[in-house]
Amino acid sequence: MVNVDSLIDLDKAVQSKQVFWDQDIYDQEMENIFGRSWLFLTHESQIPEPGDFFTTFMGEDPIIVARQKDGSVKAFINSCTHRGNQVCHADSGNTRSFVCSYHGWAFGIDGSLAGVPLETEVYYNQLDKDSMGLREVALVDDYRGFIFGCFDEKAPALVEWLGEMAWYMDSWANSGGGAELIGTPMKTILKCNWKVPTENFVGDGYHITWTHVAALQIIGGPLGSAFGAGDMPPLEDMGAQITTRHGHGFGVIWDVGHAIHRNPQNYVEFQQQTLPEVIEKQGEWAGKMYTGHWNASLFPNCSFLYGTNTFKVWHPKGPHEIEVWTWTLVQKNMSPELKREIQKEAIMSFGTAGTLESDDGENMETCTRTNRGFQTRKGTMNASMGLGVEGRHPELPGVVGSNFIGETSYRGFYRFWDEMMRAADWDDVIKNDNTWVDQWLGEGAVSKLPALDAAFKAA
Amino acid sequence: MAEQGVLATLELAYQIEQFYNREARLMNQRQHRQWLESMVHPDVHYWLPITEVRFTRDKRPAPTPDDGGIFNDSYSDLDDRIKRLETGMVWMEDPPSKIRHLISNVEVFITDQEQQLSVYSNFHIYRNRRQREETNLVGGREDILVREGDEFKILKRKINLDMRVVLDKNLYIFF
Repeated sequence: MVNVDSLIDLDKAVQSKQVFWDQDIYDQEMENIFGRSWLFLTHESQIPEPGDFFTTFMGEDPIIVARQKDGSVKAFINSCTHRGNQVCHADSGNTRSFVCSYHGWAFGIDGSLAGVPLETEVYYNQLDKDSMGLREVALVDDYRGFIFGCFDEKAPALVEWLGEMAWYMDSWANSGGGAELIGTPMKTILKCNWKVPTENFVGDGYHITWTHVAALQIIGGPLGSAFGAGDMPPLEDMGAQITTRHGHGFGVIWDVGHAIHRNPQNYVEFQQQTLPEVIEKQGEWAGKMYTGHWNASLFPNCSFLYGTNTFKVWHPKGPHEIEVWTWTLVQKNMSPELKREIQKEAIMSFGTAGTLESDDGENMETCTRTNRGFQTRKGTMNASMGLGVEGRHPELPGVVGSNFIGETSYRGFYRFWDEMMRAADWDDVIKNDNTWVDQWLGEGAVSKLPALDAAFKAA
Repeated sequence: MAEQGVLATLELAYQIEQFYNREARLMNQRQHRQWLESMVHPDVHYWLPITEVRFTRDKRPAPTPDDGGIFNDSYSDLDDRIKRLETGMVWMEDPPSKIRHLISNVEVFITDQEQQLSVYSNFHIYRNRRQREETNLVGGREDILVREGDEFKILKRKINLDMRVVLDKNLYIFF
């Protein structure tokens, strides 16, 4: 087992560059992180009918997600229990069974082994078919339609895993009819470590001002004028950065959820119509979240931009490569026309040929590849921006950075990565649930993010 | 796109092949603005659908532009993409990458729409970046070209990229 004790320096907020490169660290991640965390599988809108299936990955394990006859959802390892062949090669579809292409073993949509060719003649009825169904993923659940799976049956329930992040997400996942993902996912490769895009989405407001300057100049709008033309508003009034238990986190820029949309009138109108519902259900702060633009990650490998409405999973393919899967996130009560408009803008900006997507990919690959150098990866990476000025907030859950541009959520992500990598099992993690903020901040650290009244005055 | 109309004459087919060669040269020389303004119709629809790997028995319809696409562009969308490149602040293109379009299998049909041609072609796009990054993109195009005087303009282009997972870091190129 790899020694993971000295990879993350929590106090200085630096990380060993080895975490982007070393195979043994990656192997340990597959066991400790992808083997224990709730991982995003699909959205219920992608498999609405009984028999509908969607194939994906948990870590590098191939997975079938299938809607059952009773409406529930199960997930299985996409590998025949006979000789291990993959039993489903389609991305999605509707079926009554998955028939292995090797010897014709047939599995029901509930994963059970339903048919074995020549069963009587060659197995003499001695095959225990009941014990030879597809291996089922231990835990499958959904949060407001977002379906997740977990290999570790000792993990906390999904709603606890999402924890306080779920409260923030509810501002858009529990309003406007709820959220859904539309369209066939785009799939692209990036030759980068899976953590590079996750950390970027979890907490990098900083790069927007430089990496994306060309695209923002063309798009114009509020971010275009702030970053593209250098007309930066006072940072403390701009937004917030927040991280919650289990490494989830996001940055939010107030009032500009629509900023990457070139013609946002219809979207803004819909948001203004829905805003009272959000405030009524969750209060004024949730309304502030609802109309903001988010960059966010759910630990370990799922990210989204709420507002721009791109939703991504970074599937690891070894330590130095990922597949990027990209959907469009919309609210169900939007008109079909508005959904199409949003999809077009989401893909134009963060699709495979997107004006902002292509800026990021280059950085993510190079942040990984430089560590091929032996001397290079002896070094560390730095995520100390805003260290010491983050803290508790009287009105907002989680650890709250003092403005939008900081690396508080990076720290939240790597603190939990470190915790998971060193934990013997889930009990070892759960014991910190009530103390993780104190362990991080000590006593008394208070975020400088303004209270609600002040935040609204600024807006 | 169904085969429509009759096969073009040798002379017309030659003109279209030269049209595509010129288009490829402008791309390779990074003359995107010139390409847009001299070869693309103002009402263009430029579309690269997102296709799934599906079983043969799957009867769901093929994607339409309403389903979106990696490109689902109007003239102004293409213009925005080119404007971004023209800012001089696209760091991934500085130093610039190299790109080479090889166009083949050109089939030109005269349609029952006056002045419109229906054209199939195949592409092999080679990209080379930085020191030793290289990718190859292979697929086909289904075009509707419009004759305007002595010139042709691209009115519709459907791009069929022959890969499910795009084995490249992005597709910020033109096909």
